[in-house]
Amino acid sequence: MSRILTVDDSRAVRMIVAKQVRELGYEVEEAEDGVLGLAQTEETKFDLIILDVTMPNLDGPGMLSQLRERGDDTPVLMLTSESKRSIVAGLMKLGITDYILKPFKPEELRAKILKALKKEGAAPAAAEAAAVEAAPPPAPSASEVVPAGAARADAGGAKPFFDVLVIDDMENVQKRLRQFLPEHLTLAGALNAQSGLTMCRERVFRVILIDSEMPDVNTASLVKSLRLLQPSAALVLLSLRTTNNAAGEARDMGLDTVVYKPFTSEGVEEFLSKYFDNQELVVKEDDLIRVAAFKGREERLPGYFMRVSSLAAKTLDEIAAACFAEAIVDVSRIPAQSAKPAALIIELGEHARKVGIELRIVGSPEVVQLLRQYAETAGMAVFNTVEQARGAAA
Amino acid sequence: MSVAGAPAHDQSKLVEQLEAIIAKKIANDQLVIPALPAVAARCVALLKNPDFSTREVSSILESDPILAAKLLKLANSAAFGGRNSVTSISQAVTRLGASHVKSLIVESSARKLFESNDRRIAEANSRLWTHSVAVAVVARDLTAITGGGEPETAYLAGLLHDVGKPIVASILLDVERALQDMRKRTVWLNDQEWIEVIQRTHRKVGVPLGVRWELPDMVLKTVRDCEEYDNGDRVSASNIVRFANALVKQEGLYVGPVNKDDNDALVMIGKSLLGLDDGAIKRGMAGLAAVRKQAT
Repeated sequence: MSRILTVDDSRAVRMIVAKQVRELGYEVEEAEDGVLGLAQTEETKFDLIILDVTMPNLDGPGMLSQLRERGDDTPVLMLTSESKRSIVAGLMKLGITDYILKPFKPEELRAKILKALKKEGAAPAAAEAAAVEAAPPPAPSASEVVPAGAARADAGGAKPFFDVLVIDDMENVQKRLRQFLPEHLTLAGALNAQSGLTMCRERVFRVILIDSEMPDVNTASLVKSLRLLQPSAALVLLSLRTTNNAAGEARDMGLDTVVYKPFTSEGVEEFLSKYFDNQELVVKEDDLIRVAAFKGREERLPGYFMRVSSLAAKTLDEIAAACFAEAIVDVSRIPAQSAKPAALIIELGEHARKVGIELRIVGSPEVVQLLRQYAETAGMAVFNTVEQARGAAA
Repeated sequence: MSVAGAPAHDQSKLVEQLEAIIAKKIANDQLVIPALPAVAARCVALLKNPDFSTREVSSILESDPILAAKLLKLANSAAFGGRNSVTSISQAVTRLGASHVKSLIVESSARKLFESNDRRIAEANSRLWTHSVAVAVVARDLTAITGGGEPETAYLAGLLHDVGKPIVASILLDVERALQDMRKRTVWLNDQEWIEVIQRTHRKVGVPLGVRWELPDMVLKTVRDCEEYDNGDRVSASNIVRFANALVKQEGLYVGPVNKDDNDALVMIGKSLLGLDDGAIKRGMAGLAAVRKQAT
């Protein structure tokens, strides 16, 4: 376990540092000036020293200098209210590892301790837990529409993660979108550009939807700032259907796509299929495609079939690319209602023919019964199990 | 700029004399500080009023075709582009807003200060302008990342933080020519000394210029001191410009010698002062590639 020494004449600072170090899962010892600090370094080998500059008896630079003179190269993190460049330059010459200006945020201290100990990204369990605890997701404001227990901390534990941010001055927009989104997706909303930018400084988003017509907002400038703050997020323009060439406008601003208002289930499904992981809907095992069951509200059913169709077609391409002559599609768990399953099977059959592979369908008795109702699928051989389908193929 | 073989004693005396000349001119209020061009000055005055008349500003801007063309170009650029092209100055002013119009006017006026008929000075000023633009771009983007105020103010502060330098360069050129005309001296400054005089005096010249141009306080603060951070206002535009200046120097985009130890210290302090991690800094510096490209 790493051992850290904090040297500071302020008891309060030593206590804060010690608390953070312990929460990271490391051992900590304290000294109130350079003389006592040096004495402790003679008795114990530390992995890191967190050192103040101005102290009675022997100051930080004095202690650091003596430490180096006797050949001790323990990493030193300066924690000080001193910001004169000449003094810091002198400390850098003495080989400090990093620098923190007081007053400081606990997250900065923790991050720099881990960096100095070269344990970035490999923090002990206690460190991760502490980091998440120290940065809880901010309490949702009136404009936020998040599901219970929503926000998650990102990998570094520093910023809470949200799936979607909507920046739109109309409050109803985020409420309506919330109704269309699956429950597991987290959504935050900002009613103006400023609060959207603030949220982007504090959180990590996967997709950001930006209204194209906010009063007194230059959308292109806003997009530029959002790109700087959230380089990994997909940025999407929110636009009215009647807007001329919204797609072109989005492209000019370097946005990924357009979602049109008012929302439709097809529009939102397309958006979801583009930005959120749909792979669980269609799972491939060699030449077998398993289609997952539908979960959710009935109005989302058309979107489910649309996404399954698109994902299964892509998976058929992969199977063809791997040189399989046949593919088995297991649709036994899809809902057997309306004409959608038949339409799906017909589409997949056509796609399989295009890519030159034979299709075998596995379905539940309900699906079989449904397929018999349509001319295009009535004569189709549907197997009860995957094994039966494989046997037929052999 | 340089004369080889001059005794070192003469040279250091000359540096001191030139510094004294500039200091005396400033003290006696004899320094000719360039005024903001008339069109720019009238527009900036009008734009101070939050309820300014777009028509009035536009009609003044139309009298300067170069400025008007720049304004239209900016309004139709990708950064501001709307659905339709802007074809009139009043549309451009409406699209850009007072802050961006003012910035463009000041930037355009400042750019003129960096022009010179003297080839040597024009060359040095061109590199100096590239440095200023680089600091401006990084400061603007870091301001957007930190939320430390208006990115446009940080851009202007970055652009003008060294604005006294071309003026001092031009004063030195005048002195050199005067001495040559009088055949009083054959020894002149070498490159290093020339830069030394400029570095030691430019802030004293830049500040009165900023006052005369009625630049925002935050910009003036940066012109006055770009060497030490102000702990009292951590994430301020002037601190961000100081940090950007140090980063840009580390990247080698600078004219003159850089004290590496001091500069590295400024970067280390700035990271903590502004609460920026390496990822944020990398994003803030992404715009440098375009500045370099434009410079070449």
